[in-house]
Amino acid sequence: MSTNQIKVDALVVGGGISGMQTALDLGDQGYKVAVVERKSSIGGKMIDLSKVFPTLDCCSCITTPKMSATAHHDNITLLTYSEIESINRDGNGFKVQATKKPRYVREDDCTGCRSCELVCPLEVSEDEHEFGRTSHRVVYVPFSTAVPQKALVDLDHCLFCGKCIQACPSDAIDFTQQPEPVEIETRSIVLATGFETTPINAKKEYGAGKLRNVISGMMMERLLAPTGPYGRVLRPSDGKMPASIAYVQCAGSRDQTLGVPYCSRVCCMYAIKQAMLLSGALPLAEITIYYMDIRTFGKGYEQFYQNAKAMGVEFLKGKVARITEDENQNPIVRVELIDEFGKTRVTERQHDLVVLSVGLLPGGNPQPKFGVPVGEDGFVQVPDYNVFPAVTSQPGIFVTGAAAGPMDIVDSIMMAGAAASSAASYLEAGNGSRKEAQRQPERSVEYA
Amino acid sequence: MPEEIVNTQAQNPKEDEPRIGVYVCNCGGNIGDVVKCEHVARTLERLPNVVVSRDNMFMCSDPGQKMIADDIKEKGVNRVVIGACSIFLHEQTFRRTLERAGLNPYLYYHIGLREQVSWVHHGTPKEATEKSIRMMAAGIAKARNMKPLEPVRLPAHRQALVIGGGVAGLRSALDLARRGLKVTLVEKSHYLGGHMAQWERVFPTNEEARPLLKRLIDQVLAEPNITIHTGAEVIGAKGYVGNYNVTIRQTPRGVRETFPNEQEAIDVCPIKRRKRFDFGLSTSKAIYRTYTGCVPESLVIDWETCTKCGECVKVAPEGMINLDEEAQEFTVDVGAVVLATGFQPYEPFYGEMGWKEFPEVITLPQLHRLLDDEGPTQGKFWWNGHPVKNVAIIHCVGSRQVEGVHRAQPDGNVNNYCSRVCCTASLSMASLIRQKAPDAKIYEVFEDIRAYGRGHEDYYTRASKNNVTFLRYFAEEIPEVRRADEKAEHPLLVKVRDHLTWGEEIEIPVDLVVLSVGMMPNPVQDLMEIFKVTPGSDRFLLEVHPKLRPVETAVNGVVLAGTAQGPMNIQESCAAASAAASKVSALIEQAKVELEPYVARVDPDKCQGSGECVKVCPQEEAIELKTFSENGNTFQRAVVTPANCNGCGVCVSACPNRAIDVQGWRLDEYEAMVSAIAADIPAWEGAA
Amino acid sequence: MTTNEEKKKRTEMLVEMRKERRETVQRAQELLKAQQSARKALERALTGGPHSVPQLAQAVNMPAHEALWHIAAMKKYGIVAEAGTDESGDYYLYRLVKEA
Ligand SMILES: Cc1cc2nc3c(=O)[nH]c(=O)nc-3n(C[C@H](O)[C@H](O)[C@H](O)COP(=O)(O)OP(=O)(O)OC[C@H]3O[C@@H](n4cnc5c(N)ncnc54)[C@H](O)[C@@H]3O)c2cc1C
Ligand SMILES: Cc1cc2nc3c(=O)[nH]c(=O)nc-3n(C[C@H](O)[C@H](O)[C@H](O)COP(=O)(O)OP(=O)(O)OC[C@H]3O[C@@H](n4cnc5c(N)ncnc54)[C@H](O)[C@@H]3O)c2cc1C
Ligand code: SF4
Ligand code: SF4
Repeated sequence: MSTNQIKVDALVVGGGISGMQTALDLGDQGYKVAVVERKSSIGGKMIDLSKVFPTLDCCSCITTPKMSATAHHDNITLLTYSEIESINRDGNGFKVQATKKPRYVREDDCTGCRSCELVCPLEVSEDEHEFGRTSHRVVYVPFSTAVPQKALVDLDHCLFCGKCIQACPSDAIDFTQQPEPVEIETRSIVLATGFETTPINAKKEYGAGKLRNVISGMMMERLLAPTGPYGRVLRPSDGKMPASIAYVQCAGSRDQTLGVPYCSRVCCMYAIKQAMLLSGALPLAEITIYYMDIRTFGKGYEQFYQNAKAMGVEFLKGKVARITEDENQNPIVRVELIDEFGKTRVTERQHDLVVLSVGLLPGGNPQPKFGVPVGEDGFVQVPDYNVFPAVTSQPGIFVTGAAAGPMDIVDSIMMAGAAASSAASYLEAGNGSRKEAQRQPERSVEYA
Repeated sequence: MPEEIVNTQAQNPKEDEPRIGVYVCNCGGNIGDVVKCEHVARTLERLPNVVVSRDNMFMCSDPGQKMIADDIKEKGVNRVVIGACSIFLHEQTFRRTLERAGLNPYLYYHIGLREQVSWVHHGTPKEATEKSIRMMAAGIAKARNMKPLEPVRLPAHRQALVIGGGVAGLRSALDLARRGLKVTLVEKSHYLGGHMAQWERVFPTNEEARPLLKRLIDQVLAEPNITIHTGAEVIGAKGYVGNYNVTIRQTPRGVRETFPNEQEAIDVCPIKRRKRFDFGLSTSKAIYRTYTGCVPESLVIDWETCTKCGECVKVAPEGMINLDEEAQEFTVDVGAVVLATGFQPYEPFYGEMGWKEFPEVITLPQLHRLLDDEGPTQGKFWWNGHPVKNVAIIHCVGSRQVEGVHRAQPDGNVNNYCSRVCCTASLSMASLIRQKAPDAKIYEVFEDIRAYGRGHEDYYTRASKNNVTFLRYFAEEIPEVRRADEKAEHPLLVKVRDHLTWGEEIEIPVDLVVLSVGMMPNPVQDLMEIFKVTPGSDRFLLEVHPKLRPVETAVNGVVLAGTAQGPMNIQESCAAASAAASKVSALIEQAKVELEPYVARVDPDKCQGSGECVKVCPQEEAIELKTFSENGNTFQRAVVTPANCNGCGVCVSACPNRAIDVQGWRLDEYEAMVSAIAADIPAWEGAA
Repeated sequence: MTTNEEKKKRTEMLVEMRKERRETVQRAQELLKAQQSARKALERALTGGPHSVPQLAQAVNMPAHEALWHIAAMKKYGIVAEAGTDESGDYYLYRLVKEA
């Protein structure tokens, strides 16, 4: 079989934490799995985070070993920088057409040494990983812990000066690379396509993305990450160390005007987490969180919230009506406050930096390609929601992680186990199961 | 007991000269912000046998691991010492790295520079760096003496035990069976389904709970691989992962199966008892059925109240009821155990917001029964014979408690966690009340509304549209419930300082107060002792790590499912249960398991057969004296059964001849480590 | 390692690619020019000693957020390094990392 034909038991679409965990759980049980990730590295959103609640583990310490385990697992085939083109049911399974996008770097030859990157003369700012706050060169290895650790060329900015070709010790650069079709035959599919965050410009009351010192929670993650753009928390307008930082909760969630009535479930916790990390990084900074309800519902989460309060993070119940800025680009927050004594008043407060606790939106509509319907909220629909949370309405297609609705890492990992289990049950049930023969025909249920 | 035991000491082809690779991880700043990792690496570089010493931002990442693997392959590194985060996090990660590079995975020693140094000495970076150097030097000393090891490989039973027959236990059992594993399901009560059976309906789908549950139970019953025991409990267990021998005690049901004139048998029973299924809101006879359609369906006898008067026996078909049935004990062999023992609703103490003090105060679980068509009022929203006009639902009772404000539980701790389901469960009941009593005044008295999940927020919005009044309180100022004047229209008053309307103190007159009680774990002290699992500070069973190993306990082969681990709704319980099944499958599906090689090993040349080790060993059948003969002489030598040894090392200290060591933790290794800690190490000149 | 033959082929390929993608290449070249002049200006300013981002912005007449962007990139590739903070303590100072 050529390398462009893959035969597996399960195809996992999306290589975020939930997709990786599903692949590992299935791989560990002996099933052959292919993971298709559209980006140049697996890891999903999680790899962009700083530390993660509620344990405050460094995020890389949780993600990168899973990335490594996924890449090296005997039963897992990894296809990064690849897109699913079409899916067709074929007997008991599926025939899937995918495309490996050209990296313009031969994956087999590249060692990830970065020699090319160091000689490339041009820097561009649309680095998806750093959210436009810093740069990467035209040829680059996505980030230091990327899997695979391979360079790629941003052809739209390439000068074709050839410096990288000269610098590459293993002659891996290849501008003539073409998209490569890959055919995957699989018996089941797990959707792990994750989420997107509310765009920073979604709400005009909050500056429509034009205020430089109003950033998203995701950007703050990058600022706090040891691998972040500045290696510190500096505000984007002028590099000042912010002395007063405010969080606006439910920015893009629980908001009928944006058509997002649901709660995004993770933003309360990530705001509190960031507030704690900020009090470590900037001990003198004052941090305020404007909220409607604090939803710290998970195991250990309420204590996390109480700790943040005890550390001096200010929690103010109130709806932020508008954000503007003064002549020094300091954001001004107009808020209806309800203070400790219950007095409601409208005030304006000036901060150095405002973080919008943006919500989680569906990462794309799987309906056209996968035939899997979505719910009113745009996330994958799950017909038997309570009892079979990972089973979609299409036989043989399962869902996990934030593709099935906003969900934090703990829940995504739990759900990955569930998706793996449901897929395994499905694989064993029909399709000439290996285990079928061992089952006894007679019922042995006994009641006492 | 399995006999096939594989050797635990790997072949050690040639006593290579140790070539040690030393790796210091910055842990993305977790360590590096305090410990000068580069300094540590450079200092250790010059110790004997160290061929390479490096520091890195993320040692556990793929590039970090590759670096180690490359050193093994290219620099001939044959011992690895890593200073990084906790060994619990990444021991397996690095073992796999070594394996991939062709090195025995046990030729690696891990030092916890994060938990043992940077997190505890963050104020004193210089000393922290110094301490790291010494700890790493000790590791290097151990590495010099390390020998390759092989895990203990044992056959495993392809069978699992699921304890608890609530929705989580059922779902786990189903998944395991569908993977072709045999399952024994043990449920303490006499019916399947746990708490879910008691709810009038379930959010977020508004499905009727019992039909939904019945569909799941039917699927479980259809699985030939599942054996169910209701009215049964686990009372003991021996063994270890892959090979548990579990003793189960079966209490009698008293009734063999369903029979036509059941009602007659019930009618003649003279005993009345409070019905637990209705949370005490109704009564049943001592011979009763939990609910119509429950599984198993037959009647059951409540032995606590039954006087064995024999009236029911007289009317029932011959042999159908047996009041003298004895409890039975039997054992099963299983490879792994799923703990799905669930939760119990928080029980308020006397007087807590009027609980038990006023009959008009009930709990949310009771409200479910009250509104249930099959409940004590057939679903009418009546209390004490009158329709309820005003009702207040008070949130967070028994949850989110604050030390010093709330009364502690008997263990001295308050319940400082959120119970996660009660907000949405309350809102969903408010909706139902609105349907049943369009004119009722409904108050939700809350701290935060935590309608977090998919579809939950709709209940909140709907409640607001449905004229439910929301009053917000702070945990520091608990609402008060008191008796209204005798002539008042509504018997109770709820006093709240409402933080949604200017902090006014408000008194609302109500007919019924519903306490939205949270979750407490079912008390399973006995099971914790039997399986040696531990609870967290919230008393729920504790997982190893919420992200890396969310359903596993510290005991290999014992996993968690559902609310035994912490508050969850049904969807989350099922996801967790299914994840638990995944873990169990991966563990025993191949019918074999691997155990750590850290077990006692006897040097037959030094052993004199004194038997001291056998006397002190706390484990069963871990070490024994066996008779050997050689050249006509017979003599005794101690022999270890690795599968039964837990590596505690008591025998090592008891042996008069120093003939025993624990593999991987030998005395010479310890001695080398101690000397290395005490030795001075010249600092790296490049130091700042 | 590479023969002249190969080198020639490679150059031809590059010329071909440049022709084919004239538009994007041109845009990239303009970007490069602007970037290089900005970098030079910043480096020139920094030869006078450590500067904060607002100081640099003023010195080279560039919006502060752009200066920050350049400084971040230059820091990433080891061209500049931090050199403590300014008097107010609000801003970091940056210095050139001297060529060895
Ligand atoms: C600012 C912020 C902070 C957070 N902090 C925390 C925290 O501290 N702790 C915590 O527990 N959670 C946190 N979270 C939540 C966490 O990010 C998510 O729970 C987690 O990333 C979900 O993982 P996932 O795998 O489901 O989705 P994702 O991480 O989104 O991964 C999905 C993957 O699928 C790929 N993909 C999508 N569509 C396709 C396609 N069609 N074909 C191929 N590939 C595709 C994507 O490229 C991506 O790699 C935070 C979230 C945000 C926004
Ligand atoms: C008032 C209220 C309303 C709720 N409403 C909803 C809702 O609408 N939607 C929703 O999704 N969730 C709801 N929930 C949550 C839901 O009830 C739980 O998520 C679910 O019941 C948990 O199932 P479980 O199997 O983990 O535990 P349980 O249902 O408690 O089952 C545990 C089982 O284990 C058995 N057991 C205990 N100890 C032993 C032992 N030692 N040996 C053998 N067996 C043992 C018990 O008898 C029981 O049958 C609600 C909860 C409450 C309190
Ligand atoms: S988690 Fe918190 S911030 Fe996010 S939408 Fe829900 S309530 Fe708002
Ligand atoms: S879910 Fe709501 S009522 Fe329950 S403890 Fe949490 S905040 Fe309180």
